[in-house]
Amino acid sequence: MDKTILRGKAWVFGDDIDTDLIYHNKYLAETDPKNMPQYSFEYLPGKENFAKEVKEGDFVVAGTNFGCGSSREHAVYCLKYAGVPVILAESFSRIYYRNAINNGYPVLFVKGLSQAIKDGKIKDGDELEVNLLKGEIKDVTSGNTFHGDAVADLEKDIMKAGGLIEYLKEKAAKK
Amino acid sequence: MGKTMIEKIMKRAAGREVNVGERVWCKIDLSTARDFGGANCVLQFEEVTDKKGKVWDPDKVAFTFDLQAPSHSEKVSTNQKIIRDFAKKQGIKKVFDINWGIGQHVMLENGLVKPGDVILGTDSHMNLLGAVGAFATGVGNTDIVASWFEGTNWFRVPETMKITVNGSFKKGVCMRDLLTSIVGTLHADGMFFLSVEFYGDTIEKSSLADRITLCSMVTEMSGKIGLIMPNGKVLDWLVERAGKEVLERVSSLAADPDAVYCQELEFNVNDLEPMTSCPDAPDNVKKVREVAGAHVDQVHIGSCSNGRFEDITAAFEVLKAANFRIAPGIRAIITPSTREVMLQCAEAGYIQKFLEAGVVFTNPTCALCTAEHYGALPSGDVGMSTTNRNFIGKVGKGSHTYLASPMTAMATAVRGVVTDPRDILG
Repeated sequence: MDKTILRGKAWVFGDDIDTDLIYHNKYLAETDPKNMPQYSFEYLPGKENFAKEVKEGDFVVAGTNFGCGSSREHAVYCLKYAGVPVILAESFSRIYYRNAINNGYPVLFVKGLSQAIKDGKIKDGDELEVNLLKGEIKDVTSGNTFHGDAVADLEKDIMKAGGLIEYLKEKAAKK
Repeated sequence: MGKTMIEKIMKRAAGREVNVGERVWCKIDLSTARDFGGANCVLQFEEVTDKKGKVWDPDKVAFTFDLQAPSHSEKVSTNQKIIRDFAKKQGIKKVFDINWGIGQHVMLENGLVKPGDVILGTDSHMNLLGAVGAFATGVGNTDIVASWFEGTNWFRVPETMKITVNGSFKKGVCMRDLLTSIVGTLHADGMFFLSVEFYGDTIEKSSLADRITLCSMVTEMSGKIGLIMPNGKVLDWLVERAGKEVLERVSSLAADPDAVYCQELEFNVNDLEPMTSCPDAPDNVKKVREVAGAHVDQVHIGSCSNGRFEDITAAFEVLKAANFRIAPGIRAIITPSTREVMLQCAEAGYIQKFLEAGVVFTNPTCALCTAEHYGALPSGDVGMSTTNRNFIGKVGKGSHTYLASPMTAMATAVRGVVTDPRDILG
């Protein structure tokens, strides 16, 4: 199967999901990113089982301002190393957005997603098909389709390099 | 076309003209990390440079220990040691260990922050340094590590919102109440990606402590930075700490009169009342009197938002008006933001009075912004705090928190239930 088309189950969240709900401050002292997925969403009522039940390839689907709050990069690592291939949200909080891009971790901006979530047009457990190249998101369960925009500008170049450190290393090597 | 403050700051840091919306590489004046995130930065830097990397300028790197100071877990103690060892290896002298206090405040007091500086830190409330016109921002460890290579990092030049505040606060009302009211009006994404400039007579006559309160909470509205150009006593204070270069920065980086703003808002504080962020979000705002009488188990005064001497003085005045008595059974904790603030409190005679009243007065640290610090709340308990976030379970699973001013917090400690400070101050 084409690697640009991903299939997985949706984990659906609302607006303003803050970093304490994604990765609680209780576990900030953790320094190994690979240990972080076990704490994902532990403090978010209704999603306490995420860490145990998430499967590689599942998607995180959210409304506006995903990742607001703290600067902790843990909140990106805990999803990246859980095998969530891309985060789909209407919008991302500034620092969360930077942290994702700087790690070469894909995010898609999906217009209207916040309302679609509220209207139940995309629900927990729905089977999604995501075409990363076209930005097309098919909810196979509900039959609804959404369009997501990938990052542009400098962020696109950083993503292409695989992250900010890799981007800077490439830049330095070219000098 | 005139330029806003952030456009001028980024122009200076990028060494070229900049336009809103474009990405620019800025020179970093100070790249800092705390005991939270700091060890992650060090380990990542060592990994990606095969332990051979050198930070670009040891004088422009600083470490602060404030998340857990002193540490009370072996894991955090180890993280702090990782930072100390790295600083030694790299020749980094600016290490503010467990005896200093909250990082941004300590750096400010030690003259490391000037208007127009571009500062990074592993703390989402770094941007409170906008209180003296610096562009400081919280970032993750990768951003810090990247900045250590060549002392640069990338930014999007943001649009700017202008907020003008006029009027005088009535007794029992303060800057925190204005801020809470703004958060309630604009909500969690009301300043999304924006730079915000504050003007008006209320701002011009405000103390540094008040400006810190205001700028620290820009984060809670998803803003990039809140900026106030120093004037009056704040300017004198800053010149004394950071040197005369501050004056040149103030004149060259102030916004032009014809600067272009994406949004302009005006507030008047003459009739403002004490406000509170109710559980479980900073933008769930009500007047204190609307929730007066609600049960509270613990009160906390401190944090990077409201832990200055002026904040603790305001709380002291409320306690004094109540004949230095707090309600039986309530747990009240005061945490000064820095050692300097704690010394001021000692010299003013506050600490003895607080202790006699049964208040816990702690060493300077971040305290109750995390569940891993002293004062964590058990499930079912309700706290009132002057910190900046009350997300669900933030300081303990199953607990809930009201955010309010130091005056409202102390009034609540006095009565044992949510209390409008005007009921005590008269």
